[in-house]
Amino acid sequence: MQLPTEFFGWVVFILQKYGSLFLQGTGMTLLISLTGTVIGFLIGLLVAILRTVPTTRRTPLAARGLKQALNVLLSVYIEVFRGTPMIVQAMVIYYGAMMAKLIDRHTPIPVVAIFIVSINTGAYMAEIIRGGIISVDKGQKEAAHAIGMTHWQSMINVVLPQAVRNIMPSIGNEFVVNIKDSSVLNVIAVSELFFMSKSAAGTYARYFEAFAITAVIYLILTFTVTRILRLIERKMDGSKSYTILGSQTDSQSAITIPADSKEEG
Amino acid sequence: MPNPSPVLEVSHLRKRFGNHEVLSDITFTVGEGDVTCIIGASGSGKSTLLRCINFLEEPTDGAILFHGRDAEREWNRAQYHAKVGMVFQSFNLFNNMTALENCNSGQMRVLRRDRKTATERSLLYLNKVGMGPYRNARPAQLSGGQKQRVAIARALAMDPEVLLFDEPTSALDPEMVGEVLEVMRSLAQGGLTMLIVTHEMSFARDVCHRVIFMDQGLIAEDGVPEEIFTSPRQARTREFLSRVLQR
Repeated sequence: MQLPTEFFGWVVFILQKYGSLFLQGTGMTLLISLTGTVIGFLIGLLVAILRTVPTTRRTPLAARGLKQALNVLLSVYIEVFRGTPMIVQAMVIYYGAMMAKLIDRHTPIPVVAIFIVSINTGAYMAEIIRGGIISVDKGQKEAAHAIGMTHWQSMINVVLPQAVRNIMPSIGNEFVVNIKDSSVLNVIAVSELFFMSKSAAGTYARYFEAFAITAVIYLILTFTVTRILRLIERKMDGSKSYTILGSQTDSQSAITIPADSKEEG
Repeated sequence: MPNPSPVLEVSHLRKRFGNHEVLSDITFTVGEGDVTCIIGASGSGKSTLLRCINFLEEPTDGAILFHGRDAEREWNRAQYHAKVGMVFQSFNLFNNMTALENCNSGQMRVLRRDRKTATERSLLYLNKVGMGPYRNARPAQLSGGQKQRVAIARALAMDPEVLLFDEPTSALDPEMVGEVLEVMRSLAQGGLTMLIVTHEMSFARDVCHRVIFMDQGLIAEDGVPEEIFTSPRQARTREFLSRVLQR
């Protein structure tokens, strides 16, 4: 068989021979980073809501103590997972769980991978969401309480929808970081894009060509995701125009106020 | 003074922030249908008093009784809040909702009304404050006066027995103060029990049944408007009034 002699020849050759490996790796990377970001986001929401539960002088002592203990625990979680590299977390969690017999050789490795990415992302998300909650002015939460909403109700109906909108750029950041950083999971043999690229490069020792392909795939992934998130943001902002329904003289009238008509006010 | 049956009783209320005592021993009662204005200089504790009544601030000591029962201990907090509404200086509309959704949210989440019933109530009150046509507008698209009127409709939609107003016109441009006061005036005439912290002296004089003058965390004077505005007993009331009425 005739082997290629220059860069593009090798690229085409590798793609023809190992295209399916790259495809599988890309699929796995997307699965891990998307699921990990979503679960991490949910962890972050939960942590942020728990950490902002208010206590008053009527709160029983036991409940206050429990809340204190929970706060300490959550702070430790955030500090530990933000303060150590994910590659180290992967090793510790994977081999630790093996030793503790929580998982064995038959446990599907993507599950472990998603667990690691989720719990790591959760620690970052908790802080991002806390920032988002602070960005929503306190008055709206007070107003929610003043019409009888509980902490959960005011969080879910009023504060978090606005907080999440405000932190969408940061959530997008986390997703992009996860697409790239899930590559470190190759140390526990997760068949994501980096791991598959290594296999594709190995046989003919064409590392430059293989990883050039890998780089382009990562770039396409992150670029696409960024655009999609931008679209979602625009969707969340809702319609800028609104309609005035009925007037004193004509109850059927409807005047639509277009976007930006009150911006300068 | 119309005071048939006390709806709200504030009893020996104290509030301290650190070492600073903002409210020291406040006691008064509000009867059904009473329209009470609370006036006083900045920092006299007016707003804190209102916020304590609604438990946005936790009282340091003392009690709030609603229909004779301790609001803090014997009332379900959500129920109490539904019955004692609040209108804020800075409107505090939910920015992620339209005017209609703002009015529906509490009814649906707290009172568990279905959307149809809630919408009917909301539209009734939005129309009453003249904001019906703007039901689909978001807070960012409304003027200050319009926002405050929606906020009043939101509070009314909960069918409150008492409505607390915390300087409802202080954050408004002068030309918008009138429209909000007009709404409040018609509520007062409709027999709603209202407790109003305000700097609008003419409103206090014309609309309120009773005026409470606060000074340094205490009720300095308490009486009908004619008495307070024409022949105040206390020197500090006279001094305050001459300062604000000069303008």
